[in-house]
Amino acid sequence: MLASSLFELRARLSDAGIIFAYCGYVSEPMLTGLGEAVKQRLAAEDMDTKTLRSVFAVFIEQMQNIIRYSAEKRQRTAPGEHAPSPEVRYGLITIGRDGQGIVVKAGNLVHVEDVVRLGSKLGHIRAADRAGLKALYKETLKGGPVEPDGETSKGAGVGFIEIARRASKPIDFEFMSVDDRFSFFALQAEI
Amino acid sequence: MNNLKMPSTDRTPEIDFDFGNNHLILRGESYPEDAFSFYKPVFEVLDDYLVQLGTGSCQFDFEIIYFNSSSAKAIMTLFEKLDAAAAGGASVTIVWHYDEEDDTMQELGEEFGEDLEHAAFRLTKLAAGS
Repeated sequence: MLASSLFELRARLSDAGIIFAYCGYVSEPMLTGLGEAVKQRLAAEDMDTKTLRSVFAVFIEQMQNIIRYSAEKRQRTAPGEHAPSPEVRYGLITIGRDGQGIVVKAGNLVHVEDVVRLGSKLGHIRAADRAGLKALYKETLKGGPVEPDGETSKGAGVGFIEIARRASKPIDFEFMSVDDRFSFFALQAEI
Repeated sequence: MNNLKMPSTDRTPEIDFDFGNNHLILRGESYPEDAFSFYKPVFEVLDDYLVQLGTGSCQFDFEIIYFNSSSAKAIMTLFEKLDAAAAGGASVTIVWHYDEEDDTMQELGEEFGEDLEHAAFRLTKLAAGS
């Protein structure tokens, strides 16, 4: 039972073309190791330099999006320590082959009150063509604070635009209601 | 003033600011855990140098393989600082090196470069194997 259920999960991932999957809590320090793991995994696949870099770029933006904005978070204080450990947030991400392309999908919970704002921002990005994305990228960069990563830059604009620019097709996204407080947000980019 | 040399890490680029020779280089990949903390001291040292440079000349080489969206703001800020120094009379050349196998990096270089009003700007292919 143990082996068969785990093997079944493995087979389902494999059948879906998944070459990398992560599901759980994640933080910036953890992303360092995960990034290296993804780099090594992608290097083993047959793909050109641009595709490889684009998949990696999309992976990083998707992960950082979870790390900064997932509504499912936890902060633990280690025994004997007063300072809390870095906050961790929950999400999942997969990288898989789909025909000729590579698809990166990410999902995490968001607060219901953020769905409309986030959806409108992403709808705008999904509808933009290459020139539109370029203009939006610059506009968003310039509109932000001088600090590259200050608290006020938590508008999650540039990251989504970067994902859309690296993708070879328009990005796709969807929200699913979970309960009266949370929705599940899914975002997909094909490279 | 003292040169600024920082080796690259998994997520941060090499910084090689050779102020004695007026040659500044940022090289590698940039997706720091905290882009603000990483770039703040770099900005501070650059600000001091540019004041001291006055109407002298300098070259800044960007040899970036990859940068994330948080680093994009920092790179834009570096461009703005260099352009401001050029507006003040310094002779500033910015060279953006890109991997010819990744035209996204070429595009991004062009986009940052087109905002420059005073500094000279050049795009060039990264030397093979670097």
